[in-house]
Amino acid sequence: MVQTVVYAAKKIITMTANRPEATHVAVRDGRVLAVGSLDEVAGWASSGEDDLHLDETFADKVLLPGFVEGHAHMMAGGIWSYTYVGFQERTSPDGEVWDGLEDIDAVIGRLRQIDAELDADAPLIAWGFDPIFFTVSRLNRFDLDKVSTSRPIAVMHSNFHLMTVNSRALEMARYDRDTNVMGVDRSEDGEPTGELHEMAAMFPVMRRLGVDFRSLARTEGGIRAYGKVCHRCGVTTATDLINDLPLEDVEIIAAITGEESYPARLVPVLNAHTAPADQIAAQALKLREKSTDKMRLGSIKIITDGSIQGFTARMRWPGYYKGPDHGIWNIPPEQLMITFETLNAAGVHMHIHVNGDEASEVTIEGIARALTKNPNPDHRHVLQHCQLADAAQFRRIRNLGLCVNLFANHLYYFGDKHYEVTVGPERAERIDACATALAEGVPLAIHSDAPVTPMGPLFTAWCAVNRLTVSGRVLGAAERIPVEEALRAITIGPAYTLHMDHEVGSIEVGKKADFAVLEEDPLTVDPLKLKDIGIWGTVLGGRLQPISKPE
Amino acid sequence: MIETDDRLPLTLITGYLGAGKTTLVNHLLRNAAGRRVMVLVNDFGEIAIDADLIESQDGDSLTLANGCICCSMGGDLFYALSDALDRRPRPDHLVIEASGVADPTRITEIARAEPELRLDGTIALVDAGSFDALIADKHIGGSVERQLAASDLIVVNKSDLQSTDALSRLETRIAGVAPGAGQVIAQFGRVPLEVLLGRVVDTEGPKAPSSCGGHDHDHDHHHGHEDLYVRWFLSGDLPFSRSDLAARLAVMPKGLLRLKGFLRLTEDKSWFLLQAVGARAELEPLAKPPESVDETTLVAIGVRGQLDPAELNRLFSA
Repeated sequence: MVQTVVYAAKKIITMTANRPEATHVAVRDGRVLAVGSLDEVAGWASSGEDDLHLDETFADKVLLPGFVEGHAHMMAGGIWSYTYVGFQERTSPDGEVWDGLEDIDAVIGRLRQIDAELDADAPLIAWGFDPIFFTVSRLNRFDLDKVSTSRPIAVMHSNFHLMTVNSRALEMARYDRDTNVMGVDRSEDGEPTGELHEMAAMFPVMRRLGVDFRSLARTEGGIRAYGKVCHRCGVTTATDLINDLPLEDVEIIAAITGEESYPARLVPVLNAHTAPADQIAAQALKLREKSTDKMRLGSIKIITDGSIQGFTARMRWPGYYKGPDHGIWNIPPEQLMITFETLNAAGVHMHIHVNGDEASEVTIEGIARALTKNPNPDHRHVLQHCQLADAAQFRRIRNLGLCVNLFANHLYYFGDKHYEVTVGPERAERIDACATALAEGVPLAIHSDAPVTPMGPLFTAWCAVNRLTVSGRVLGAAERIPVEEALRAITIGPAYTLHMDHEVGSIEVGKKADFAVLEEDPLTVDPLKLKDIGIWGTVLGGRLQPISKPE
Repeated sequence: MIETDDRLPLTLITGYLGAGKTTLVNHLLRNAAGRRVMVLVNDFGEIAIDADLIESQDGDSLTLANGCICCSMGGDLFYALSDALDRRPRPDHLVIEASGVADPTRITEIARAEPELRLDGTIALVDAGSFDALIADKHIGGSVERQLAASDLIVVNKSDLQSTDALSRLETRIAGVAPGAGQVIAQFGRVPLEVLLGRVVDTEGPKAPSSCGGHDHDHDHHHGHEDLYVRWFLSGDLPFSRSDLAARLAVMPKGLLRLKGFLRLTEDKSWFLLQAVGARAELEPLAKPPESVDETTLVAIGVRGQLDPAELNRLFSA
């Protein structure tokens, strides 16, 4: 006998044009059988031997399509094996609530607590520290020495470009007053302060303390933790947007996601920087064949430039507002052209990281050439971040059939810095220009880039709707988008960028029964409260996945 | 203070696409002459090593018959460097072939920061024929300029396709961008290894007096480039004060490519290892010099016709 369950909900927001709202959804074989009123969906019961069961679990909940996170990293799970010391409250994958730490004493307090529990010879590594919120003083080695002078301590800042370490860690890296290395911050008396900027300065400490971010994403624990991170914020499909994907790792990911209880579908995306383009194309096509119901492979990621806040994004004239231009190409533009051409010709779907507007310009041109040479209907290559594209670039993006996944969370976390320092008021107000992208008809998704900023599609939508920065500034009122559009940009929008919109991203007949279950209606709450809506859990392929409270 | 300098020397090779990096790397591996050189090839790069040099291949790693190793960086400098440092036996010299637009300082700063690495030098290759067009390119001109400005040595490659006049104009243009860097002209990347990687003085020992001119000890005579270089050697009881030495190093003569030596400072009589490439000199305190060395010993190599050994004699003897 076929099992059919009809879920009654306070409201079902389907993200479809024909039947945007409903009260009941019937689920059979993990797929949506029908959406509508109880009477309408119940019609399926008379068609045969259905055991049609009415489930009232969601009677006072609001169902949306399961959220799709189109740009995040598996590391967002494993990072929790280090100690969280951020300014804002965060919940660990296991549901433990970590209070936000609002001053340096609080950071020291938490580190002391962990220090007391840790093995004598283990380093103490923390993450998520965000001095953007601290105006009084900077964390330094002496603060951390209060925790321990014998155990090396490293506190990674939330942007991953900076760390603060204690005296023991400095000693291990042999940093002292004679050290003359860019990025080793020094006080007026010539001694290192403990703050280390960028990879070069951090390298000796990371090597000696065994800080290894890549491995965090490769372990079984890291993969499981990532599933939990997704689950807690209503995400049922999530990318891991750069992964070397050796076959042994693919097997592990396939096995773990294949477990019925693994709460999300994963889309690991191949790092295209490890070999010449023709080899990457062959590898991607081979990986595509290994896709499973809950692990989708075959796309690749290319990184063209750096970051705006790090002044390493490639910027067109007039460049950075204040501060030095350290714009870097990660790949020579000439080689980018060859890479685009080769991968596009092979029919490989590309996610292309572009931050600055020169990077987007060169990429648009490169894709235009690649598509002229090898037309590739329905390619859906995605410009990831694409933060500084202007209206003209969006028009070309549309004409070429490209998609964008804009970094909406950036507006809140870095918006003030962009306004005041990096790109100046005018361009800051149209950074991550969601409204322009929509007005020009560009397929739109928005993302968190977790763990760079926390995963949480409702928060990401809140950013796109309100464009509020940390300081409370509205950054570019004209680029705000309606809640409904923001919800599309966290569901069917990203599903389209992943070539999965026929399976997930909306609640309609035939699609997977993947739902986000919310406590309130995002279309009727105050848009400023969008990020605060409670999440009951998710449904994945018809399987109910309530968020458990920690024991 | 270091007992002996057991840091892993790192040489960075930069240059835009087509400048001849791969050819130079092959030349370098072919002439490694007993040194176990490990080459890391940038992301996107093909490991295009001459087939006759290869002994075995394991994934992204090639082992050469002469003990050298060539690996793909795999898109991650952090892990590639950690792997090179953790290898046992550790290679004698690490060479990184950077991508065409890499910012050299991102890599060289790691070598400065990491106590187990020693930045030996940054070498930029320039295709003599395409320099002007590259510098003028709106997307990459700035990157190429920064590469050159960050270099210690600049190899002007494919020089055989240019007139003498054109080469001389090019030299001036490059000097405008990178005033401190030594410049050598070459074909097919054929530059002696003692220029590219420096000479391992403490194992090879100073070999010849200054009079030896250009007739010794590189291992690829058949390329016939030897007479492009001049060598210089000096030893004696020559203590310098720290400030005196710094003053001398600041006015090194034109055409000098590399200078290396063991010397004692008047202040504390302790030994130091001096290594200079281009305009960059590094002085490292040393517990004791190699056994063969008992007085100040300096060796240099420079461009014949530019470097005047007599000038070096005057600079360091007075």
